[in-house]
Amino acid sequence: MYVALGIVVAVLFVIVLIYNSLIGKKNQVKNVFATIDVLLKKRYDLIPQLVAAVKGYMRHERGLLEEITKARARAVSGRLSDDEQVLLDNTVSKALGGIMVAVENYPDLKADKSFMHLQRTMTEIEEQISAARRAYNAAVEAFNNAVEMFPTNIIASMMGYKTRSFFEIREDERRPVNAGGLLGN
Amino acid sequence: MWPWQSTVFDWFKIAASAFGLLAMTTTKINAGRILMKTLDDLKRFYDTTLMPDLLALEGQRRGIARKIMIVIIVINVALGLGSLAFVFMESNMLAVVIAVALCLMIGGVVCKLFTRGYVTYFKSLVIERIVHFVDDSLSYEPRSCIPKSTFMLSKIFTTKPNRYKGDDFVSGKVGATQIQFSELNAEYESGSGKNRHRYTVFRGIFFIADFNKHFNGQTIVLPDTAEKLFGRLGRKLQSLNVFRGELIRLEDPEFESHFVVYGSDQIEARYILSTSLMARITDFKEKTGKKIYLSFIGSMVFAAVPYTRNLFEPRLFKTLLDFEPIRRYYEDLQLAIGIVDELNLNTRIWSKE
Repeated sequence: MYVALGIVVAVLFVIVLIYNSLIGKKNQVKNVFATIDVLLKKRYDLIPQLVAAVKGYMRHERGLLEEITKARARAVSGRLSDDEQVLLDNTVSKALGGIMVAVENYPDLKADKSFMHLQRTMTEIEEQISAARRAYNAAVEAFNNAVEMFPTNIIASMMGYKTRSFFEIREDERRPVNAGGLLGN
Repeated sequence: MWPWQSTVFDWFKIAASAFGLLAMTTTKINAGRILMKTLDDLKRFYDTTLMPDLLALEGQRRGIARKIMIVIIVINVALGLGSLAFVFMESNMLAVVIAVALCLMIGGVVCKLFTRGYVTYFKSLVIERIVHFVDDSLSYEPRSCIPKSTFMLSKIFTTKPNRYKGDDFVSGKVGATQIQFSELNAEYESGSGKNRHRYTVFRGIFFIADFNKHFNGQTIVLPDTAEKLFGRLGRKLQSLNVFRGELIRLEDPEFESHFVVYGSDQIEARYILSTSLMARITDFKEKTGKKIYLSFIGSMVFAAVPYTRNLFEPRLFKTLLDFEPIRRYYEDLQLAIGIVDELNLNTRIWSKE
């Protein structure tokens, strides 16, 4: 009788442990995902400063600046579906890329101290976003392992948990980013 | 398709290559990079600059070595006479033990007195000049070391040593990066009398530099032993290490096979340990063939590289007129100063200047 009771308690205990660890892993994924959002918002916050810094110099890229300003306004309005958000982020990234390439034509702007500082901050946020994506992938890996591996998969399927997808990182992004390489030396 | 999947990275690359600022950083990096001097340079330096002084110092060394030999002979004779006295005169055992201990102690003190001035002189003449040969702007203090509080601040070692000493303190700026390092010997002694146990917490070169990115938390990189020995189970054990913080599992398999990372923040740890820095740390480890301990705390990077031998010390019973030890001093210094380059600390493209 006591033995049976002991076994039941032990099994219950293990179930509780597995249940809690699954919840923990799911929250970790959610948490990191939210951080990516925060970082992207931080990047959005820098856009007005960037536009203000470059618009005095850039005469031929007015369209680009308007496009990025509009995209940012839509993004921060917050009434977007996930898909729309993705599209918008892509638009912003492209426009930012365009501006940065255009900067090459304006040596005065390149030498501007406040612009230089802004650029450093941008680089920093980009790397933080990249770090957050890697953290997200690690969290998803831990979660997916728990969802698919025995015995946690039994509880996971009872909780309705399904595996999540990773951020795909393209082959050329997998290579170590070498500042020297980017600088062409 | 996930958001921010590829375009962010594209932007980063375009921006990095397009920015004039980065072009400027290139010169900065070059200016900051330690221009690795070749062995030929060192040999030339040895022949032209060091040799005249080494010749003078060699005379002094021989004199001291001779004196020490005399002391050793005298002690041996004394001990011999003592044992004869013990055998023939039936003196008591305790008196003999005390006499032997006293002899050895006096011998030790005398030897120390003989060599003290010589070691200091040697260091200022040889080691200091090799430090300046590697980088002119660095300063060298033979008798100072990294303080114990800083050693503990790094959180690399959790045991607080109660015997702590060190010497050969080097500090200065290499390019844009402030550095300091010294040799350390930190030990922990427990118990007393027969139960006294002493073990080494750390012995080797301890290095500190200003890191090139801002961060708030702490990230600690340690050699991976548990995972190497026990595989997956080892990793599980690592994650249960409550003294160290969260286990950070990184995606570089080679790096992961050598190191285990603990940190206070999963994202910040990855921000610090970028893919490129992981590759650089792995390279550094493979190149030196040594265990590497790192920690990133309070905007600084701490590195501990263990050695079993005493560094930057003169050899009393071997000639000074030999290039080999000079090369070794140089290589040991270069290993520490080279960390700046190995970890790319002079690249200042982030908001921290």
